[in-house]
Amino acid sequence: MTTSRMVAAAAAVALCAAPVLARADVPVRVRVVKGSRQTPPRFDPRLSDLKKQLSRLSYSQWEQVKEQDLTMSPGKTEFVELPGGEHVGLTVVDVRGDTVTFEVAMATRNTQSRLTIDKNQRIVHQVSPEKGGVAYFMSARAWP
Amino acid sequence: MEADDLALVARARSGDDEAFRALVVRYQRKVYAVALGIVKDADSAWDVAQEAFVRVHEHLGDFKGESAFSTWVFRIATHLGIDAVRRERVALKDDVDEVREADLGDAGEGILGTGLGSDPQAATLRRELLGKIQGALETLPEKHRTILVLREIEGLSYEELAERLGIHKGTVMSRLFHARKKMQAALREYAEIAPQDGRDDGDESE
Amino acid sequence: MTDCVRYAPMIDARAGELSPEERAGLEAHLAGCAGCRARAAAQRVVAGLLSEALLAQANRRDFGPFVDGVMARIERRRAPRGVLARLRAAVVHHPRITFGAALAPVLAALAILVYVRTTHDEVARVLELNSEGVDMVVQTSDGPLVLMGAEDDPEGT
Repeated sequence: MTTSRMVAAAAAVALCAAPVLARADVPVRVRVVKGSRQTPPRFDPRLSDLKKQLSRLSYSQWEQVKEQDLTMSPGKTEFVELPGGEHVGLTVVDVRGDTVTFEVAMATRNTQSRLTIDKNQRIVHQVSPEKGGVAYFMSARAWP
Repeated sequence: MEADDLALVARARSGDDEAFRALVVRYQRKVYAVALGIVKDADSAWDVAQEAFVRVHEHLGDFKGESAFSTWVFRIATHLGIDAVRRERVALKDDVDEVREADLGDAGEGILGTGLGSDPQAATLRRELLGKIQGALETLPEKHRTILVLREIEGLSYEELAERLGIHKGTVMSRLFHARKKMQAALREYAEIAPQDGRDDGDESE
Repeated sequence: MTDCVRYAPMIDARAGELSPEERAGLEAHLAGCAGCRARAAAQRVVAGLLSEALLAQANRRDFGPFVDGVMARIERRRAPRGVLARLRAAVVHHPRITFGAALAPVLAALAILVYVRTTHDEVARVLELNSEGVDMVVQTSDGPLVLMGAEDDPEGT
């Protein structure tokens, strides 16, 4: 292949593969959180910013099991692995000013949730059905 | 009214949207009120009420007219409302339905002592309580809110309540007893009436 | 005092809801029990109040948009539109298409979307209450809390 063709081919690949160029990437903090019912009460201090949301539920013990800081490009799905080996797909669908729209997808549960929050909020999304008194949740927050 | 409803249902079934809309408008507020009693939150109640009518629309073909149309939509709204708060977690010590000796307590714990004699006093008290009763309801657990709301707004009999909630008539009665007792206690706090002292003769010298 | 355990729950009964024996027993008990008479009196004070209060709430609210909202929801269920519906159609008709690894798990089977919009200023709206998998969305000022149904939940009502 000649150089010019390679350049052209590379450009073509770049144009096809590139996401919408105008949008800025969003830093996102993702956490996987475990709620347990049949255990002594304990609240992981790392989860204090989620307390308001988590305290609506009746799990006695809350524990952070994973934390990941991602830089997410709108439209590109990131996969978060859960303790059971399953994956949850997280996508930034839209960013407007201070608000971001996430999509949380779980193939095994046939679910896609599209949620819009602002920079002071967090999504808490259950990602496993409760089993043996234990359930997992995923939280996502933009611009942590 | 009921025959009217059936006529509208028949028309709605054959695709007459105006007839369906008429049914919605006829019952929307009452369905909302029942939902509000169960889910507590005004916006959730709105969603539950709307969803109930959507379900009705989806199943118009199944409605056989064996019960009243209103019963049908209330039944759906009840179940949706209960579903919506299924995860409401209020840690209660006394969650059983049966009535036991200990539940009777002091009858003077009710909203009245024995002293509320005159009608004007009762009327005043009623007006005051009207403003508090919704708040008092919200402090009750879902199963007690639901049975009170169905009894009072939809006016269901013991038998109908048993059928709606899937419980025995005896359980209906004792659950209502607990619900009313909790309601009285919550109202008592609001109205700040002392439990043992039913007298309200204004005599401070005692 | 065990009579009260039996009769106190009957105080609430309306005409025809008690058997003649129960009714007679209740009357006799009330004649001799000041406590239960007090319960009955307290119940009379609040009789109908709950209904009055909740219906008053309903009357205060503007129900103008309600029926339109119902019809809109019905419409939305009839015709799923948008990218996902088309994607679903694509998967059904072209099972051999393998998308990039980034998309494969997401496309396993598409379900009804739950749209929740929540900001500090706007009232949150849940557009679909019972989509497959997602059971409930709880709104808090800190953000949404999305819950799943239990593993073996029977469908709906």
